[in-house]
Amino acid sequence: MSTKGYYGRLLEIDLSTGKIEKTRIPDSDIRHFIGGRGLGAKILYDRLRPGTDPMSPENILMFMPGPFVGYPIPSSSRTCVVTKSPRTSPLEKKYDHSSTLSYANMGGFFGPEIRYAGYDGLLITGKSEKPVYIKIEDENVSIEDATEYWGMGTDKFDKIFHSRLGEGRYESCYIGPAGENLVPMACIINTAARAAGRGGTGCVMGSKKLKAIAVKGSHMPEVADLKRYNELLKKIRGSFMEKDDSVMNWRYGGTANALSSSSGNGTQAVKNYGEGTFAEIEEIGTEANRKKIWKRDFACYSCQLACKKSGLAKGAYGAQIVHDGPEYETGTMLGANLMISDLNGLHKLIYDGDDYGIDIISTGNTIGFLMEAMERGHIDSGFLDGIELSWGDVESSLELMRKMVYREGIGELAGKGVKALAQKIGKGSEEYAIHVKGHELAAWNIPVGSTYWAIVYSTCNRGACHMNGGNSRGQDGACLRDSLGACSFASSWYKDEVHYRHILSAITGLEWSEEEFNKAGTRIYTMEKMFNYREGFRRIDDTIPEKFFNNKFTYGEHSGAFVERDEFKNNLDNYYESRGWSKDTSRPEDNILRDLNLEFAI
Amino acid sequence: MEDTITTRKHSRRHFLSRITYGAGGLVLLGSYGFSITRDNKNGVIRAISVDFEKCTGCRTCESVCSEYNNRVMVNGEMLNGLSNPARSNIRVYHFNPDVDIPSTCALCEDAPCIEACPVEPDPVTGRKALYRDDKLHTIVNDPIRCIGCQSCAIACAEKRAGVIHPDPETGNPMFMCTLCGGDPQCVKHCPYDALKYMEMPADRDLDKLAPEKLAQIMIDKFYNV
Repeated sequence: MSTKGYYGRLLEIDLSTGKIEKTRIPDSDIRHFIGGRGLGAKILYDRLRPGTDPMSPENILMFMPGPFVGYPIPSSSRTCVVTKSPRTSPLEKKYDHSSTLSYANMGGFFGPEIRYAGYDGLLITGKSEKPVYIKIEDENVSIEDATEYWGMGTDKFDKIFHSRLGEGRYESCYIGPAGENLVPMACIINTAARAAGRGGTGCVMGSKKLKAIAVKGSHMPEVADLKRYNELLKKIRGSFMEKDDSVMNWRYGGTANALSSSSGNGTQAVKNYGEGTFAEIEEIGTEANRKKIWKRDFACYSCQLACKKSGLAKGAYGAQIVHDGPEYETGTMLGANLMISDLNGLHKLIYDGDDYGIDIISTGNTIGFLMEAMERGHIDSGFLDGIELSWGDVESSLELMRKMVYREGIGELAGKGVKALAQKIGKGSEEYAIHVKGHELAAWNIPVGSTYWAIVYSTCNRGACHMNGGNSRGQDGACLRDSLGACSFASSWYKDEVHYRHILSAITGLEWSEEEFNKAGTRIYTMEKMFNYREGFRRIDDTIPEKFFNNKFTYGEHSGAFVERDEFKNNLDNYYESRGWSKDTSRPEDNILRDLNLEFAI
Repeated sequence: MEDTITTRKHSRRHFLSRITYGAGGLVLLGSYGFSITRDNKNGVIRAISVDFEKCTGCRTCESVCSEYNNRVMVNGEMLNGLSNPARSNIRVYHFNPDVDIPSTCALCEDAPCIEACPVEPDPVTGRKALYRDDKLHTIVNDPIRCIGCQSCAIACAEKRAGVIHPDPETGNPMFMCTLCGGDPQCVKHCPYDALKYMEMPADRDLDKLAPEKLAQIMIDKFYNV
């Protein structure tokens, strides 16, 4: 018997040998690392030899729903994809293939179905010779030929794959052409709209020649204290059902609400992060989308916020397109950051990105970098195979994205991201290559609120990521949510008597004190840090691009904003100090590791 | 159909080609599903109606249905059970282009499912193995007398929404709405007010209730593609 709330079981599939195993998770790992992102980090640390090539058969691609996933706990459907990143590298390589771990989570219905099938996670290793998909129905697991689907965009794949799976409601996730073509910034998609977007998860999946996973299950994990669980469920459902302004705002605009507010606050990525405010933001914001694009709201499993918006775009860019978006990230990275305010064009860019299965954040960042390089004269259209790339140009952006996905001409290099491009271009272009550890920054700009955002990006364990907190408390909290499978957008409702830890206690029958719960978050973040430290990442890698120190905003209320170099250094010192990490190397001190039950990492 | 619209559930697919449109008019309204252009001759029935424009596909209805209809006794207390949503009597079908179609028993006045049941009526109660509850008008199975022939499931799939599915082991019909004893939990808990327990004309036209048909109507309505 495993801890209640878990099966204590992983499904492991080796695509080289075709071997399928069901393995036990030690109870101590469940207690210490909870599940999802945390358990994934522990498994990766335990099993991967330092310096493992992320593209090699040895790398493990994990799909890790947390212990909340499968239960109808509102907004708790998330699955964390954990693997070794094909995107990151340290300044001084300890191994040829030094890289951080990667984690990317996605909502929807795929994670719950993994749990219904009787597993707490899927671990994929090896590499198939031909394209395959994995089909799981409870105990029945098979590796099926996917040759006919290879090359197919995610939208078309989603439309036809399910009709061929046989009876019952399967849930699935899959890669598009970007993952198949081993584009480093490829992602994994489900329901043609939701992405485990960041950190090259789709590239790793493609390297295993794995097109898709389909899963269907008839089980339900037990809970330890059904009465207490039911009472908590009633309370938390009730708190959303009050439909206060916050609930209604999520439904009205989803994350796209932040397009306008972030622009007003000067925290938006605009013109390759050169500005924090976009003059034309209202052209692509919530109101414009409500009026011109969005047709319906849709939700993940048991979610009362329905932040996703299905829209219809018409206009110059091909046929009518039905697709989700824009959200804050997609709307900023392919909109504001590229100075694009043509809503139909933006919609087409987002659709193509998702259809290709490419990380839209890194893609938008990379195209923005190339636009700036053109503007500065560091490259010319010859470098871009004749594309006259300039700010606001939808057609050129579409073409560049296509080239990245099919690794055509300049696309081969551009698909590797801004770090690789800057190395090739030289001429000081590294200054405005907006990445940390090789992973591109997301849609939140740094200078306004830099005490927070500079720490978010510089210290994040998967390279630059906006979902990382700006201090140890925020970072550990994000670890806990990602490990439980809870969505960060709904976190503010889970407080006091319906706090996550009470629900976890009811499910598992293990009482989680506030101190123990927070400590688990710290443990998980530190585990990830030790994985990266083992790969050779040090304090010098925890930085932000030079542009933020040297460039001042010129537009809007926050004109003049930039990051003070000394202030950043001090904030980083304080951050390490608060965590008990060395200010020189960034390594967690031995006493900290022991206290967190991570003595094996010393 | 495959290239334009795809469901994630296909157990009725082989029946679909045999479904034909009825003569009666069925119109989708902005709220609560259906309006009936046919004259109302046979009174009203209380059943669950869906506003397909409001549904977000969150499947909360599936959760609360299966929780309530799979209650368990713990220490002498009846508690909602744990719920794999596949055990729910209301099912949400997802389609691409993006629409979600909740589907549940319509309590059809003419009940093709009961009509199809080959079990002789009980001489005392007059009930077949599938019969209508006197109070709530729900469709109820008598598992003792049921022979598991699946005729009801086939009738529902051919003539109506295809709600009834045979139990894989016994063949007995599953997924008939219980109305949760008169307080349907799906209606009570729908976060988006997409479900309503309301009076409807008993002889309303139900010929087009199959999720695939409804999905096409909604796709046309939302996206016109």
